[in-house]
Amino acid sequence: MNYVIALFLGGFFGFSLNKAGLTKYNKIVNQFRFTDMAVLKFMMTALVVAMIGLYSLRGLGLVKFPAVPNTYIVGNLVGGLIFGIGMALTGY
Amino acid sequence: MNWIIKQIHKETWSPYAAGILLGIVGILAVVLSNTLLGASGAFENIAGLIGKAIAPQAFDNTYFKFVMPPGITWGVILLVGVFFGGMIGAATSGTLKWGKKDAVNSDFQWKSIFGPQTWKRWVLGFVGAIILEYAAGIAGGCTSGLAISGGMLLVPAAFLFIAGMFASGIVTALVIYRDRY
Repeated sequence: MNYVIALFLGGFFGFSLNKAGLTKYNKIVNQFRFTDMAVLKFMMTALVVAMIGLYSLRGLGLVKFPAVPNTYIVGNLVGGLIFGIGMALTGY
Repeated sequence: MNWIIKQIHKETWSPYAAGILLGIVGILAVVLSNTLLGASGAFENIAGLIGKAIAPQAFDNTYFKFVMPPGITWGVILLVGVFFGGMIGAATSGTLKWGKKDAVNSDFQWKSIFGPQTWKRWVLGFVGAIILEYAAGIAGGCTSGLAISGGMLLVPAAFLFIAGMFASGIVTALVIYRDRY
């Protein structure tokens, strides 16, 4: 059952990425050139919607948050720095 | 109803509309199966599964035992869904180029920077993906798994990651594009 949910949600995930145009190389790289802000608009909208939804649901006692990604400052930063190179190269 | 069908057939949505859809998917992932969305981890799960079969000694370490246990996880199935979801998205907007010439490399901007050869795109995609996956391993997630999923739970790691990603992404784009930046 969990797998059915995963497949279903994955489908919508991929669909939204495609419709936002983030499956294209030029959208990603143009974000880093600041000629096309679609990536940030997309990411931040998703963040804000999910934040509001999740925190209100938790406030109502309807959900419990899963284990969150660990914070280790150097690792996250260095990882992010290397990730950016790959992202600008491939347009992932 | 006609309006909905028209929207589905549109090639590019407003990023805000698509972002709202992803936000809802993110909420549902937590509500329905108490997990966070993520893409890069699934590749490591699969890699671990293959590695265990080929060279069990080399993969017998803490990372693959505890951090990224191999197996067909929720994330792997999610990735299958992402693949087909993206394909449906392309099909509905009529941009799905299945087996057509130039299907691999149809990006005009890419060609103007790196040249028209398809093999170059394969090589660069492969090398870039190694960098991406390695970095995601260090940071503990990728754009979806750490930046978006972590960000929506207000995890500090996500914002550090986004800062790093943009800092080096801008520099890399600057180096590649030089005076065309």
